[in-house]
Amino acid sequence: MVVCFQMKLELKNISKNFHGVKALQDVDFQLKENSIHALLGENGAGKSTLVKILCGVYQPDSGSILLNNKQQSISDPSISLSLGISAIHQESVMFDELTVTENVFIGNHLTKSNGLVDWSSMQDKTHQLLKDLEANIEPNEKIKDLSIAQRHIVQISRSLIHDADIVIMDEPTASLSQKEINELYAIIRNLKNQNKSIVFISHKLDEVMEVCDEFTVLRDGELIKSDLISNTNKDQLITYMAGREVNQIFPKNNVTIENEIFEVRKLFKKTQFKNINFNLRKKEILGFYGLVGSGRTEIMKSIFGITKLDEGEILFNDQKISITKPSDAIDQGIVYLSEERQQLGMTGLMSVKDNINMAIMDRNSNFYVMNTLKEIKNASAMQEKLNIKVSYWSQLTQSLSGGNQQKTVIAKWLSTKPKVLILDEPTKGIDVRSKSAVHEFMGELVEEGMSIMMISSELPEILGMCDRVVVMYKGLIRDILDVKKASSEQIVKLASGES
Amino acid sequence: MKKILINRDFILFSIILIGLIGVGFANPLFVTPKSISDVLTDTSILIILALSQMIVILIRAIDLSVASNLALSGMLISLLSTVHPELPVYYFIALSCLIGTFLGVLNGISIAILKVPFIVTTLGTLSIYRGLIYFVSDGKQVYSNEFSEDFLALIHVKFLSLSFLFWLAVAVFIVIYILLNHTRFGRNLYSLGGNPDAAKYIGINENKYIIMAYSLSGFFAGLCGYLWVARYSVASTQIAIGFELTVISACVVGGISVMGGVGTVLGCVLGALLIGLIRNALPAVDISQFWQLAISGAIILLAIIINTKTEQRKEKTIMVEN
Repeated sequence: MVVCFQMKLELKNISKNFHGVKALQDVDFQLKENSIHALLGENGAGKSTLVKILCGVYQPDSGSILLNNKQQSISDPSISLSLGISAIHQESVMFDELTVTENVFIGNHLTKSNGLVDWSSMQDKTHQLLKDLEANIEPNEKIKDLSIAQRHIVQISRSLIHDADIVIMDEPTASLSQKEINELYAIIRNLKNQNKSIVFISHKLDEVMEVCDEFTVLRDGELIKSDLISNTNKDQLITYMAGREVNQIFPKNNVTIENEIFEVRKLFKKTQFKNINFNLRKKEILGFYGLVGSGRTEIMKSIFGITKLDEGEILFNDQKISITKPSDAIDQGIVYLSEERQQLGMTGLMSVKDNINMAIMDRNSNFYVMNTLKEIKNASAMQEKLNIKVSYWSQLTQSLSGGNQQKTVIAKWLSTKPKVLILDEPTKGIDVRSKSAVHEFMGELVEEGMSIMMISSELPEILGMCDRVVVMYKGLIRDILDVKKASSEQIVKLASGES
Repeated sequence: MKKILINRDFILFSIILIGLIGVGFANPLFVTPKSISDVLTDTSILIILALSQMIVILIRAIDLSVASNLALSGMLISLLSTVHPELPVYYFIALSCLIGTFLGVLNGISIAILKVPFIVTTLGTLSIYRGLIYFVSDGKQVYSNEFSEDFLALIHVKFLSLSFLFWLAVAVFIVIYILLNHTRFGRNLYSLGGNPDAAKYIGINENKYIIMAYSLSGFFAGLCGYLWVARYSVASTQIAIGFELTVISACVVGGISVMGGVGTVLGCVLGALLIGLIRNALPAVDISQFWQLAISGAIILLAIIINTKTEQRKEKTIMVEN
C-alpha cells in the first residue's frame, strides 16, 4: 500500500549566522501531515535555532519556509501563531503569577462584544479542555503552584486553543516521571489523531524510537540525515548525532582509585533533600544522576556553602569540617562550577586575566596590594594548560566564545588548586568538540590526583566518565551504583521513581 | 496563593484601620467625618498618580518624571489661563492631559525606541521637565488671584459632601481597575511584566506597551497638573517637587512588585491611602515636625517589610514529605 502523505511544512536551505558563527547551514526540514517528527542533535547542533526560526523569534539569513506549499515569511512570533505553529518550550514561557486560564489564553484573550475580557467563558473553555486532556488541574490555580508535567499540559492546552496545526515540543519529557511521561505520550498520540503534525525534540532516544514516525538529525548546524524511524535504530541515531562510533565518545583514562578523602553524613535540608550519605575517593569521578529538580544541585550548593544545611556533617580527610560560606569550602580545597556559569561563574565585563585570578586574590597580593606579575604568571599557566583562545590579556571575557568562556571559569577554579571539584552539568549547551575536550580534561585532572563530583543529566556521560553514580529522585538518594556493573535501564528506572 | 493576595490587601486595610483608631484615641477630632473627608480629598491626587504609576511598574519600569510632568502641565495651563481667562475649565483640563500625555510619549519613545534605560530616561526628563517650568514662567509664580473663577470653581464642587477630587479618584480607580483586569491591554501588561521573554513568544509587542504605559502615566500626570494648581490655587516652579517618590512608595506599600507583573489595583489604592493617612495624622497627634519625615519613612518601611514577608516566593519543594 502506498501512503501518500501531504507535506505540511517544508524548510529549504535555511542558513543562520550569529556574529560569524554558523548556527544553521543549508538545512532542509520536511514535516508531513499527521506525523510525529523527531528533531535530534547534540546540544548546540542547531535544533533550538531551527525552532526559534519557526516561532518567528529569529529570521533566517537565507532559505525559504513553505507552509502547505505556500511560501511564508515568519517575521514575528505573532505571525507564527496565526499560521498555526505553536511551540511548547521547556520552561521559560509560562507566566508564574497568572492563573492556568490566563496562561492558556495568553495573548489571545476572549472578549465580549463590548471589548472587555470574557473571564467566564475563558474559564469554562479551559475547564473543558483540561477535562478532555484528563488533566487534574484547576483553571484557577497559579502556574507557580503547578508541577512541571502540569505546566506542559497547560502549554499543550494553549496550542489547542490557538488551533495550531503544528505543535513543536522541546524536550517535553525532560523532567517528568515515567507515569507522567506515559500520560504525555497519550496526549501526543491524541494530537496526531486530530491531524496535527508534531515536532518532537528529545535527547532520550528510547522514547524517540517509541513515539516518533520520522526523524531529522542535525550536527553542528548541518543536516545529517532525515528518514523514517522504522528505517533506523538507536545506535545508528547516536552515530548520526555524534558523528563517530558510540564507544569513542568518552575517553576515560584508567586511574587507580585511592583512599577516601571526602564524606557527607545525613545531610538534611527542609523540603529539599534528606538523609544524604556518600563518600568520595581520591582520583574518583562520582556522578550524580537524576531528573532536573531532583535535588542534586541543591546538595552541591549546600556543600559549597551557598545555602545552609539544616543538619548533617561534612568530613574531609576524616576531619569534620564546617562550611558556612563558599570561602570556607575554597579554603578546604573544594570548588563548585555552577550550571549557570555565565551568571554565576564569571564576570563578562572583566578581563580574562582578572576572571582567572578572581578566586585567589589573597594569594596574588602582598598586604592587600595586587601583584600583577603573579597574576599574569598564573593566567598564562592556565591559558596554556586549558588552551584558552585569547587575543590579549585585557580582552573582556564576554567577547570570548562559549567554549572559551567555559574554560575561563574552569581556569578560575583550578587556580585555587582544589582537591575536590564539583561540576554541575559541565557540558550542557556546548558543542560536541568542546564536550570531549572537557571530558579529556576531567580525565587529566583525576590523573593528577583530583577528585570530581559531576552532576549530569546525560546518561551516556555518566556511564562514560564516572566510576560510581549516585542516583537521586525527589531529594532522596535511591542508590549508589558501580557504573561498571550498572545498566542504563536500572539507572533510569531508579531516577524516575520506579522501584 | 490567591488567599494570601486577598490577605495582602486585607492586611493593608487592617493597618489603615488600626492606624485610624489609634490616631482617633490620641486626637478624637481627627476621626470626625469632616476630617476624614479632608484626608480623602488630600490623598486623591496621590491615589490617581499611584494608579498610573502602577501601570508602569507592572512592566518592570518606573516613571520618575511624573511630578515634573505634573508641574510643567500645570504651569503651562496656568499661564494660558492668565492670558485667556475666558476659556472654559474643561478646555484647560483637556489641554493639561494632552501636554502630560505628550511628555509621557517622549519618555516612552526614549525607552522603547532609543533604548535608553527607563531609570536614566525618566531621571533625565525629571530634570528637563522641571527645568522647562523655569523657562516658560521666567521663574515667576501664578497666584490665586490671577486664575479665573471658573478655573478654580470646579475643584470645590461637592457631591454627597465629598469633594470633586475624591470622586475623580474613585472614577480613575474604576477605570484602571477595568483596564487592568478586564481588557486585553491590561492583561498583556501583566504578562509582559511577569515574563518579558515569554511575552515575546506569544507575540506581544513590548515597545508598543512601553510607549502606551508611559503615555498613560503622562496623561494622568497632566490631569493631576490641573488638579494640583486648582486645588492649591498656585502654580510655581516648586510645586509637587519630590512627589514622585511619594507616589512610588504608595505603589510599593500597596504591594505592586517592582519586579513587575504583580499587584492589585485595590492594593495600590490602599497603599496610597496609608501614606495619605500617615502624612495627615502625624501633625494631628502632635508629633514634632522634625520627626515627621523620619517617622513616616519608618512606617512605610515597616509596611513594606510586612508586605514582602507575606509575598516571599515559595522555595520550590523537591522532597515529598514522608
